Amino acid sequence: MSAVSRGRVLVGGAIVAAVALAGVYLAAGGSSYAPAKTQDPCEHRPWRNPEGLEQIAEQFSLSALDGAACKLGVSRETLAQALATPEARERFTERYGIDDAELARAIRAGLLRAVDDAERAGALSPILAVPLRQTLRSIPLDQAIELINDAESLLDQAQSFLGPAQGLLEQFLP
Amino acid sequence: MTALAIAVGLVLADSSIVVLALPEIYRDLDTSVAGVTWVLVSFNLVMALAAVPAAHLARRVGPGRTAAVGLAVFAGAGLACAASATLSTLIVARCVQALGGAAAVTAVLELLPATVGSERRATAIWATAGATGAALGPAVGGVLTELVSWQSIFLIQVPIALAAAVPIFAVARHEAATGVLSAELRQTGRPHLLANLALAMVSAAIAAALFLLVLLLIEGWRLTPIGAAIVVSAMPLAALLGSRLGRLVPSARARAAAGAILVSGGLGSLALLPKAEVALTVPPQVMVGIGLALVLSALTETALAGRAPQAIHGGWTISARHAGVVIGLLALTPIFTADISEQRQDAIDAGTAVILDSRVPALLKIDLAQRIESRLEEEKGRVPTIGSAFDPLPSDPGERAAVVELRDELQEQLNRGATHAFSPSFGLAAILGLLALIPIGLARRVEL
Repeated sequence: MSAVSRGRVLVGGAIVAAVALAGVYLAAGGSSYAPAKTQDPCEHRPWRNPEGLEQIAEQFSLSALDGAACKLGVSRETLAQALATPEARERFTERYGIDDAELARAIRAGLLRAVDDAERAGALSPILAVPLRQTLRSIPLDQAIELINDAESLLDQAQSFLGPAQGLLEQFLP
Repeated sequence: MTALAIAVGLVLADSSIVVLALPEIYRDLDTSVAGVTWVLVSFNLVMALAAVPAAHLARRVGPGRTAAVGLAVFAGAGLACAASATLSTLIVARCVQALGGAAAVTAVLELLPATVGSERRATAIWATAGATGAALGPAVGGVLTELVSWQSIFLIQVPIALAAAVPIFAVARHEAATGVLSAELRQTGRPHLLANLALAMVSAAIAAALFLLVLLLIEGWRLTPIGAAIVVSAMPLAALLGSRLGRLVPSARARAAAGAILVSGGLGSLALLPKAEVALTVPPQVMVGIGLALVLSALTETALAGRAPQAIHGGWTISARHAGVVIGLLALTPIFTADISEQRQDAIDAGTAVILDSRVPALLKIDLAQRIESRLEEEKGRVPTIGSAFDPLPSDPGERAAVVELRDELQEQLNRGATHAFSPSFGLAAILGLLALIPIGLARRVEL
């Protein structure tokens, strides 16, 4: 083989090898290997297995989180991280320039949406949903703030967050 | 000849030897990713700026003396690097090390023809020693970092540099005794612009390949330095194959073009990794390794062919290569630093979604979320390994299975984030490598 031909074979081989490897990686999903995108909290998620008090309470709190996040214009995940610790909540309110009252209003809106979702999923009787909504609407702002301020950690927050919801559900569920 | 080749290999290895130690230095000296990058950038920047003046110095005062003094300065600065307790002193010591290194490398090119019998052979040995040093550097640095410490990388260079300097001192003594050199000075021709430009662009891409891959392996996928050293040794091994392949093709232009294509192909594939698997980095590394051996030697030969004096033109190639490294690092560091921060947040958000939607009981979920939050705080912005946050696993088999599933899915999201964060930078580096084809192609019409 002449020197020119060997040069051409080398360049041709390099092109084929480069395109083939990149093509294989692309076909194997290389362009989409990234963290899963978070869902828009303003879109309603279907409730999974809305049976039993524990599952209903969990779905209820997730719906409330979605509703509050939608109201604040952040993702459900960002809000969940913000509620994990008091320090995280402080960083969150500073970053997004919102005060506790606004946060409390958002959480109340989220709780109301959770009632709607529970009703839609058949986990809550429509007859009971009406007084439940009224109860949640009448929760004073400072009580809503207390709901989140009392917590020292995500556990405490979730308990205080889930507690009233779970208590209300226990009262209103058939 | 061995001492001269070792001197070149040692100095050029130094531009990349600290790559695997950077994460250790980053932690030890409590700095930032952008800050620690200057440990690499400072050395390469000074090499780029000092190479040509050092070559002129070698021609004026004698290559033997310049090389000997250069190696002594290199060794002394190596000691200072090892003793550095702050990032600023380390960077200053690295600058001094580069000054000595630039003097030694360019002066050696002036000494080699007399030792090996021809300028052509001298150029080939000089280029091969440099490429071998640059390719082996990261693996050696990784092993030393893990087995001893990052300081040992600099300490081990001291006796090697001094050992290489001993036979060169004999030449220096001869120069001092005879006092002739200026009479031999030839007029300096202009440097081969296109070959040096291509060299700079390819070097930028290769530097990015090494730097980014090491950071991905250690900071993204949490490999140990020695583990990363084993992984990145695929590149120098492939470079050996590339050198043999290059011997079969006489056309420097063809070797340069094929090399640049392979470097870009490898980098492009690293930008498209379909999973966080170490094995998947090997084929792209092999491609980059073969490519770098082909392109660096071909472009260095082209830049030096028929040009005199060799030391000055060798200085230009050193300058071009190291300027390329600096450009590659400075251009890509802010991009991937921003990407890694963004992807880390995306990964944490995706992980939070996994926790919220998991089958794990609510109270356990909350407890896990708190422990994971603590792990994230401990890692101070780095991509964490999340496994320890799940220990001890629940005793209930059902809960245990759900927690293990959650842990694996969460780690997968973090791995995805870490891997994806490097993709744009690898992609840009691939484009840089491809752009080198322009001067390589133009060189055909203009200068070759």
